[in-house]
Amino acid sequence: MSAFLDVENLHAGYGTVPVLRGVSIRLDQGESIGLFGPNGHGKTTLLRCISGLLPSSQGTIRFDGVEITKTRPSDIVAQGLVHAQQGNTLFGDMGVAETLALSAFVPRARKTSTETLEYVYELFPRLAERRKQLAKTLSGGERQMLSIGCALMCNPRLLILDEPTLGLSPKLKQELCDATAKIAARGIPLIIVEQDVDFLLTLTDRLYLIDHGTVEREIAADNAPDHAEIVKMYFGAEDA
Amino acid sequence: MMDTVIATLISGLLLGSLYAMMASGLSLVWTTLGVFNFSHGALMMLGAFVAWTVGEGAGLGVWIGSFSGIAAAMVAGVIIEYFLVRPFYGSRNMLLVTVMTTLAAMIIIEKGAQIIWGSRLKQSPRLFEGDISIGGAIISRQEAFIIVLAPLVLFAIWRFATVTATGRSLRAVGQNQDAAALIGINVNRAFSIAFALSAGLAGLTGVLLGSIRFITPSLGAEPLTKAMIVVIFGGLGSMGATAGAAYVIGFLEAFLILWLGLYWTPFILFVVMITVLILRPNGLFGRK
Repeated sequence: MSAFLDVENLHAGYGTVPVLRGVSIRLDQGESIGLFGPNGHGKTTLLRCISGLLPSSQGTIRFDGVEITKTRPSDIVAQGLVHAQQGNTLFGDMGVAETLALSAFVPRARKTSTETLEYVYELFPRLAERRKQLAKTLSGGERQMLSIGCALMCNPRLLILDEPTLGLSPKLKQELCDATAKIAARGIPLIIVEQDVDFLLTLTDRLYLIDHGTVEREIAADNAPDHAEIVKMYFGAEDA
Repeated sequence: MMDTVIATLISGLLLGSLYAMMASGLSLVWTTLGVFNFSHGALMMLGAFVAWTVGEGAGLGVWIGSFSGIAAAMVAGVIIEYFLVRPFYGSRNMLLVTVMTTLAAMIIIEKGAQIIWGSRLKQSPRLFEGDISIGGAIISRQEAFIIVLAPLVLFAIWRFATVTATGRSLRAVGQNQDAAALIGINVNRAFSIAFALSAGLAGLTGVLLGSIRFITPSLGAEPLTKAMIVVIFGGLGSMGATAGAAYVIGFLEAFLILWLGLYWTPFILFVVMITVLILRPNGLFGRK
């Protein structure tokens, strides 16, 4: 069976600084996967390569059998591979409703925009309350919701979420975890980057530990190591 | 006395209308790409010359001439974007480099026009002949047409930017290129569209200006400095602020000419601009 997303031996970096040194991950049909690992070891860089924002120097990326290694970001979105960035201000001077309306930009998204918008407002009632508010005046949690909402408006066939709960209060974090679970339950395959491995294990089939720009370890969710062992992996005590 | 005041007000309104159309074109490119297009004035001049050549020289009439002028400016704008601006996206000194390249484009177009059309004064035919009298002041119908047209053009740009998907996508690209790309907006295409529209506005302004003043290769140079004052004065970026500032500068210029004469007016305008920037660094109507 061919993989839905297949990343092979990917190398990339910024200027002369290499960040990814041969990353290979795959996501089979109907699967969701999680990525975790220390900050600054290439998780976000990997996502930027997959969505076409950053060119890779070596390696291939295939989505649903089509090579997208050198495809431009807008065409990748048009194929249904959508990346929700960490909650930054998307378009500071645009209102919530306007941003969501604009996000249904590619043809496959326009067809479903009315239903998706309803779904996004149902998933994040806070966004519905703040329709007219400018994005730059939103709180961190609301920005994260808007970022995910925009990605959903693109009508994704595969959705990448980059640390949806980063820097949020426990209450908001729970809200976003619940929302992520609802998106997964809707049948949209996910690639989730998170530090909270327990949360990842509830939603995904497999985890990859990304460290030093490579995949250090692949973990099947039904055969997951316990918490203490994961802490060990993070701090490298295991192989030291 | 009353006649003079009314005449000056109308003159200010006319100047403001022309500045508003020019400055909104400059501001469109600035907000989308972060590039200040110094060839904007030259594109105006190109529009005026092409309108004259097609309308008067080839005898195809004023309407076809005007549209040809606008189209020629748009084509030139897209060419400038593709060859002189696009290679420098993402470069660390993009703003500075594109100042140089668009200045180069200005010089090429101005000198080119001098070779092609020579320096003999030309004037485009008018869409509307005759004069009308407003409160004792007499202006040509063409000037009245410009005064009426400008707000309509500004309104159309505003509607385009806020209501249409393409217009919104240009604003999105201006605010966050990565995020725009990630919702499926083709950033390069947005740049081309912004440049084409901006150049089209330059062409339109040039065609209109060429019908009320003489067309020379340096037709756009002086209005460009005024439009730059307007864009900076209004606070870079916001459409409404730019339009507002255009009319303020237009009226100010008209009354300064009445009181102090043509000689001191540019000087005072720059003093006013610098003072405003010292007191309000984000421009007269600029928000933080």
